[in-house]
Amino acid sequence: MNQRPSLFSKWEKEIKAFFRHPIGVIGLAGVTFVLLVAIFAPVIAEPVGGYGIFEERLTGPSTSHAFGTDDMGRDLFSQVVWGTRASIKVAILSVLTATVIGVPIGLVSGYFQGLVDTVGMSLVEIFLTIPMLPLIIIVTAVSNATSINTVAVIIGLFSWPTIARITRSSTLQVSSMQYIEAARCLGIRTGPIIFKHILVNASTPVLINLTIVMATSIITESAISFLGLGDPTTFSWGKILHNAHASGAFASAWWFSLFPSIAIVWFVISFNFLSMGIRDALNPKITRA
Amino acid sequence: MTRYVLSRVLKGVITLLITITLTFLILRLLPSDPALMMLGEMFTADQRQALIERFGLDKPLLEQYFIYLGNLLQGDLGMSFYQRRPVMEIIQEKLPWTLLLMVTTEILTMVVGIPLGIYSGYKRGTVFDQIVNAVAIFGVSVFVPWLGFTLLYFFGFKLPIFPVGGAYDVGTEGFARILDIGAHMVLPVATLMVIYLANYVLYTRGSVIDVMEEDYIKTARSKGMSERRVLWKHASKNAMIPTVTMAGMMLGQVVGGAVLTETIYAFPGIGRMIYQAVGQQDYPVLQGAFIILALSVIVMNIITDIAIVYLDPRIKLE
Repeated sequence: MNQRPSLFSKWEKEIKAFFRHPIGVIGLAGVTFVLLVAIFAPVIAEPVGGYGIFEERLTGPSTSHAFGTDDMGRDLFSQVVWGTRASIKVAILSVLTATVIGVPIGLVSGYFQGLVDTVGMSLVEIFLTIPMLPLIIIVTAVSNATSINTVAVIIGLFSWPTIARITRSSTLQVSSMQYIEAARCLGIRTGPIIFKHILVNASTPVLINLTIVMATSIITESAISFLGLGDPTTFSWGKILHNAHASGAFASAWWFSLFPSIAIVWFVISFNFLSMGIRDALNPKITRA
Repeated sequence: MTRYVLSRVLKGVITLLITITLTFLILRLLPSDPALMMLGEMFTADQRQALIERFGLDKPLLEQYFIYLGNLLQGDLGMSFYQRRPVMEIIQEKLPWTLLLMVTTEILTMVVGIPLGIYSGYKRGTVFDQIVNAVAIFGVSVFVPWLGFTLLYFFGFKLPIFPVGGAYDVGTEGFARILDIGAHMVLPVATLMVIYLANYVLYTRGSVIDVMEEDYIKTARSKGMSERRVLWKHASKNAMIPTVTMAGMMLGQVVGGAVLTETIYAFPGIGRMIYQAVGQQDYPVLQGAFIILALSVIVMNIITDIAIVYLDPRIKLE
């Protein structure tokens, strides 16, 4: 036998528990669907951009335009389909950024405790108190961020507190365990203890919460685009809603705002459900039953 | 008690100072040099130089920082370069509307959300509880503009019950004016409530489930107290504490929701002002709006922290 089955068998109980949980499975299916749409976007839909057909502006859903057309006569179906790519990019990039900042802060806070912890967690609390959306708006506007990647990184820069807090509480638990003390007695340096031994064992709760951070990032990106900031060339779902609002067409053309909104809700609910499923599957109280 | 209040106020001051410092750094250190952008591009090189000197932009960063702090302390948030008048003046017109919207939402959400949470926690596992949960999760996942559009579409255009934008009609006075403002606030408040209700319901539900296991509830029951009295008098008070704490921490997010809601309903508050300032690249207004919103959240946070003492007398003893 090769290594693979043993890796899976380690998690067999949890995987089984996950698939017994209908909400988690629905979430997984929802996320998979979005990923597939993003991957096969060039096959499913025409490329977006350019000018629309003037005579076809604001036409409702039909066989030639499944989701109707916008105020410039551009096909909304292809905009929504290509929007999945923008959203996934934002989800991944922002979470990566937030993790790179949040995990080390959480690890150091939880391991050293004392003053370092007090300072670290006060910072987290302060960042969670400050109204984030206006701050992100300022940074996006001032830095003249015109690429979706920059916007994603900016969102990530302000999403680290949640991750830091979870990493910290998980680190607190792990670092009081005996094998960490043993590692210390063996004379292993602090760096490797924190970033190897503790990180590996403290990472599960962090991973579960990444899906929630992804969902929040998508909502933030949509909000930023809706307000007319960000990448002018990428059709993100928030951008389509911005066009619907700015052109005033949302009042008469229901399809203009409905389909991108469904996409956002779909994406966010799927990620929230997925994280609920994983959390319950990893909770021994529920798995044992 | 005095020490507790003082420590909260101190925390608030530190938070505000960090907010201000952050804003300063963002505006001075980002590559596009917004400080220079703030001067506008319509000046000649000489006029530009004169303005740079007048605003102290040629001084060392630390000195600039203290000038900036000093100006803020005097309530000077700079000049809007689109409207050509002090940012503070503009904010003074807009802030009351945003505060009205936020406080109304906050109070109504508590009044509806906490009892719903208490009851569904008490009836945990029943159909009622599951429906409440499902609706709550939907609420967390909904995108504000979509909800706004939907409510506007149905209750503003299709079935024109409520006004579709603004905060009041011109020409109403006295009591009619108050009613008019109320009517204009129905849709914006409803939008924000759907989004934030879930947190209140789920938090209260969770803590009711915990509280119901406590010894003092058993004592109350064994004394022969009616279930209704046990739940609504004894259990609910303790179950509310985590929810009120959470409410204070959520305020920053509610502000974000208010920015979007005001934009959709053309409600004349700070949120809509931010939307307009983004379009006009009016950085002094954006910066001032953020600082004032942060200040409002911090003040409301301190009020919440003090309100908790009345719910949880144990804090006073510490």
